[in-house]
Amino acid sequence: MNNNLVSTSMEKSFGKSLLYTLPMFLITFIFISGGKVDFSNLPAALAIVVTFLFMNILYFMMHYTGKTDKFRVILFIIFALSLSFTLIKNMMEMRHSMSFSQADLLECKIPFCHLVIPMMIIPAAFTKSIIFPGSVIGGFADISSMIILWLVATLVLGRGFCAWGCFYGGWDDGFSRFRKKSVIKKISESWRWMPFAVLFMVALTAAMTLGPTYCDWICPFKAVTEFEQISSVESVAKAVVFISLFLSLVVVLPVLTKKRTQCSFLCPMGAVNSLSNKITPFVVKIDKKACSECFKCVQVCPLFALTKEDVKNGKASVFCSKCGKCVDVCSKNAIHFGIKGVPAGTMKNFSRNLFLFVSFLFISVFSAGSIINAVQSIFKLLF
Amino acid sequence: MKKLKMITGITWAFAGLILMFILFPGMNNLSMSVSKLPFMKINPNYNGGVVAKQIVEASCTLDIRKPVFDGLLKERKSGFVQIDWRGTVPDNIVDTIDYDLDEIPDFTITIDRIKSTTSINAMSSKVLNIGVSTPTSYGWAVRVNLKK
Repeated sequence: MNNNLVSTSMEKSFGKSLLYTLPMFLITFIFISGGKVDFSNLPAALAIVVTFLFMNILYFMMHYTGKTDKFRVILFIIFALSLSFTLIKNMMEMRHSMSFSQADLLECKIPFCHLVIPMMIIPAAFTKSIIFPGSVIGGFADISSMIILWLVATLVLGRGFCAWGCFYGGWDDGFSRFRKKSVIKKISESWRWMPFAVLFMVALTAAMTLGPTYCDWICPFKAVTEFEQISSVESVAKAVVFISLFLSLVVVLPVLTKKRTQCSFLCPMGAVNSLSNKITPFVVKIDKKACSECFKCVQVCPLFALTKEDVKNGKASVFCSKCGKCVDVCSKNAIHFGIKGVPAGTMKNFSRNLFLFVSFLFISVFSAGSIINAVQSIFKLLF
Repeated sequence: MKKLKMITGITWAFAGLILMFILFPGMNNLSMSVSKLPFMKINPNYNGGVVAKQIVEASCTLDIRKPVFDGLLKERKSGFVQIDWRGTVPDNIVDTIDYDLDEIPDFTITIDRIKSTTSINAMSSKVLNIGVSTPTSYGWAVRVNLKK
């Protein structure tokens, strides 16, 4: 009985949840639609309305049920799927192919993604230029916009970007939820340092070659976005690497381990974002007084961010993406979203509400374009 | 001290909220400001470098770009020069190029656009081979590999 009472403490009444959703409702409406919906283009208008309502229902449910990850992951997966869909659709329309040609490279028409950022820092410092064949400003996924988006999200959310902003993360997050129980249970926590090794390696090789080596040779998400035209033995080898890594780290291992293995073991941006967790205002805190040390949070953490030692010490490690899975599973309500400087176990509701507002605002507006595009395409197919 | 930490933390959290409010409406202005930073230009290894000489022919324009040897700390031993044909490019191109602008021809390039074949006749020991030869949205582009 007591457990039940404690576990529901983040829940709100229907009316109160509506009240908490209202600001998000108004702000996302303005940010997503520009304050007006043009019904002269019915599929586009319907896509905006459906996306906007769907997002706000998820946000309402987060307040109403007190659960975070359960609803976050729905938007996160849809974001990943719709972005891949939108990108592939754009490329098929523009290039009639998922692959980019030498002309696209020469004309700097490759969409930029945040994974390039760790590789471009050293060359930018020494050569005062960007080592990527993209557009500095203007056009689809330009470099300046992506840098701004990532920078602000990383400053505010830290590694929360990996659970509330990354348009790739939804893939392995989704596959990690396929099975109820994991098949592979024992994985050494030391593997979570692997992204730092990858980061070091790709930053060094990118500086040496003046090329984005991770994108050229490693990135598993090339399999669901775009890749080099198969025209040589080298391009075949690259395609084999991309597809193998995608299948193993994004599909098979997440299914077997129930962990986000690509994000935990490979992604260099995950390493950078882990470092930024040191400055972000939002953290996951553990109230040691309330904790019964059941370690369910350790078990469910998809990024190996929680160890038994971390729980005993009362805070999540720098690897935490603030996805909220541990918060949802804690029957004692001991683990919670917090603000740096505010002691664990205090201001739980305030901290959660503020964090949810900031992080949900980011993912909803950031993902809106891709989701609206995908929904519109579905409408066009159906009607 | 505890209170100060709390106030700082909460202030920083609200600053985060304000940043999020500014981010999306201010996206155009913010990205425009970022694009003006000194390092925000594409490396010549990707965009082919600046145009060193432009030759206007009957139906098209020939751009000879500055040779690119850019490395991280110093110039590399090998690089390339990019030549662009813009406009109505003929099906058969034969052009003699002086890429270093010393008024001595360095190579003759022959392109058959229909068969998509490109050949090079090097007149300088610095000219190695053809790196890239491809149709582009503006015409045709070739990168010729060079050594220093």
